[in-house]
Amino acid sequence: MADAIKIENLKKSFRLGFIPKTREILKGISFSVKEGEIFGYLGPNGAGKTTTIKCLLGLIFPDAGTIEIFGQPHLSTRARQALGFLPENPYFYDYLTASEFLAFYADLFGLPRDEKEKRIARLLKLVGLERAASLRLRKFSRGMLQRVGLAQALINDPKLVILDEPLGGMDPLGRKEIRDIIVRFREEGKTVFFTSHILQDIEMICDHVAIIVGGRVVKQGALQDLVSEKVLFTEMTVSGVPPEAFRGLGQSLSTQGDRVFLKILEQGRVDDVLALVRERKGQVVSLSPRTETLEDIFVETVTGT
Amino acid sequence: MKIGAIAGITFKEAKRDRILYLLFFFAAVAILASRVLAILTVGDRVKIIKDVGLASISIFGVLMAVLIGTSLVYKEIDKKTIFTLLAKPLHRAEFILGKFFGLVLTLLVMTAGMSLIFLAIVYLHTFRIEWTMLVAVAYIFLELVLITAVAILFSSFSTPILSSIFSLAFYLIGHLSWGLELLIKKMQAGAGRTAAQFLYTFLPDLENFNFKTEVVHNLPIPAGIFVYSFFYGIFYTAFILGLAILVFRRRDFI
Amino acid sequence: MTDMTRKPAAARGAATSLLVLFLFATCASFMALKNKTDTIARRKVPGASIIYIPSGKFLKYATFGYSALAADLIYLWAIQYFSTPTIDDRFSHLDHIFAIISDLDPTYLDPYETGALIAQAEGHDTALAFKILDNGFAKNPTQWLLPFDAGHIAMMNLKDFDLAKKYFEKCMDLPGAPEFTRRLYANALYRKGDLETSWQTWLEIYNTASDERTKKIASNHLYQVKTAVDTGRLKEAAGRFRERFGRWPSELADLVRTGLVQALPKDLDGQDYVYDPKTGEVKAATIPWRR
Repeated sequence: MADAIKIENLKKSFRLGFIPKTREILKGISFSVKEGEIFGYLGPNGAGKTTTIKCLLGLIFPDAGTIEIFGQPHLSTRARQALGFLPENPYFYDYLTASEFLAFYADLFGLPRDEKEKRIARLLKLVGLERAASLRLRKFSRGMLQRVGLAQALINDPKLVILDEPLGGMDPLGRKEIRDIIVRFREEGKTVFFTSHILQDIEMICDHVAIIVGGRVVKQGALQDLVSEKVLFTEMTVSGVPPEAFRGLGQSLSTQGDRVFLKILEQGRVDDVLALVRERKGQVVSLSPRTETLEDIFVETVTGT
Repeated sequence: MKIGAIAGITFKEAKRDRILYLLFFFAAVAILASRVLAILTVGDRVKIIKDVGLASISIFGVLMAVLIGTSLVYKEIDKKTIFTLLAKPLHRAEFILGKFFGLVLTLLVMTAGMSLIFLAIVYLHTFRIEWTMLVAVAYIFLELVLITAVAILFSSFSTPILSSIFSLAFYLIGHLSWGLELLIKKMQAGAGRTAAQFLYTFLPDLENFNFKTEVVHNLPIPAGIFVYSFFYGIFYTAFILGLAILVFRRRDFI
Repeated sequence: MTDMTRKPAAARGAATSLLVLFLFATCASFMALKNKTDTIARRKVPGASIIYIPSGKFLKYATFGYSALAADLIYLWAIQYFSTPTIDDRFSHLDHIFAIISDLDPTYLDPYETGALIAQAEGHDTALAFKILDNGFAKNPTQWLLPFDAGHIAMMNLKDFDLAKKYFEKCMDLPGAPEFTRRLYANALYRKGDLETSWQTWLEIYNTASDERTKKIASNHLYQVKTAVDTGRLKEAAGRFRERFGRWPSELADLVRTGLVQALPKDLDGQDYVYDPKTGEVKAATIPWRR
């Protein structure tokens, strides 16, 4: 299977300001996205995530490097026909209704009339907006705009879907819906490339990730390879036992009423704590081993660089 | 066709702009007020009405073209609606041309409206529908088309205020071409004069589209100038649009 | 793979070259067309803009405090308008136009002068010239130049010395008036025939003269006036002699002898007057300017 996206040594500098000062934003980005996977692109603010995406889409012209989409040069018509894009904080022509909006984009792809109408109906249903088809975009909420934007990105039934912060600013229910939609794309055989700050979501659905810091990809790989199964520490909430009893066994992080929240660093100590609680006739409210999360990796990577 | 699709929504968007109707209102008021103005003159009254009418269509048409044209492309870039658009298999040239034709269509509708009012007022005075007025209007419209192209050119890389100033400067330069001609006549032959002559031929001469005086005074217009002026307008507009496309093609959208 | 990535760059370069070529082609085309349109002559109607001049009163209100600027612009336009010889009837609105300029900016002096000049020299309407200058002076009573111009017109063109005298009298004492204005006034008096006042004025000028040249001029004029007075008296006496005796006196002394004249006046230099018994003409021995 070909790579959906293959970027090699991408470089871009900007000359900004009245007295032009050159700032190098992308210092040689290289990564690839396999066809049919969900790829997460993370990095702190200003690292170059959006710049990379804009290079990918032909909104910015790179200084050096190559970009290929499904083996085609990224600016070729064939490549463009195969992708769909949702920008961050999308803003659309707010005087159009949802249907008119999608119809316009359909016209840009030259879809025939009957195919156009069928597809618009299907997409509106997919993103859950079939009841808002005749509503003007001006009246849409943030979440609704995000969803109609997603529909627009799919108007040409693309093989590759590129999303810039698709989950930003949405409530948990909305995020879940979008996550489900993205997973459904993968089931349909589409490739999804997206950026996000919300690492839990990335952890939930991505197959591969790449972390970009200061214009360079500093870590990339399959999610399961990056995040080990190793337990870092165990968190336990106990009630009915005073905090002093646990001295030496673990760190007491906080107390609330008669509940004590403990952080136990050594695995062996967990059994000791459990024995102590049973002995004192206390109650274990919760026990959760904390493995390394993506957030840990992220923070470690970013602060380490 | 893609240009058509973009022209379509540009037209939809432009006709929602309130400035358009404000200017149309003022144009209508000016044309109607020419009746009052006519009473104050020393000479022929109908000529004042015709001249004020044609001048109104011209001036307010230029204002419409500049004020709306300069924000057309800028708004898309500023509001970032252009991102989803250009990510599609759409040539940047198609985008520019679509915007251009959309605005031209809007101006066509507005000019037609103003002309209707104008012809009605003239009819009230002369009890004739003076079709010859439309010859002047047609070439005023051609001038508007060229100004629209200029507004879009500036709009693709500059803020609306600066673009408006540049576009109006283009309009002024275009009407002062005869001044440069006079200056050249007084210059001595040499490098300076050759440079000035080149400049004179290159800079726009919008008087080529001005048939207001001839039409109002019923003077004969030599047939050749209709054709030459028409193609002058077409080629100059094509040139400006070509420039706009050239500027827009390799632009980074940060 | 490298081939595929190189092709779009080349294609882009080709597209840019094509675009640049297109720009040159269209530019050359419109420049050629511009040359063509320049060669086609179009009829212009000179003076067509005259019909746009509304009444002065309305204009004053309509110009929102920019009336002085409006005056300037209309004046500039008027100069062009009146210099266009192909407009045959351009003088019919002269009065109206300059009245408007005066209404808009009464203290603007040039239009009064120019308007009067155009009216008199080209429009051959001296009454209008006086009207313009009088209007200007009424609004600017300290400006010596306006009645001066009027006096000049009266004296040189109309030969109306009474009118000239009146105008020079108005301005000779105004601030800034040239010192020879008084002399013009005195001369106008002489030409009009008011010899008494003329003599007084020339005497005053003589006595208050600050330099030799002025003194000389005044002296010459005094000579001239005295000559006129004396020769007038003598001629009149000679005439009476002729009535009485049926012939011209053979010499001036005859007039004294017959008691018609008390004594023979001498000219300002003390010379006798020259008498021609055949015609009865009395004149001075010297021409005043040759003294």
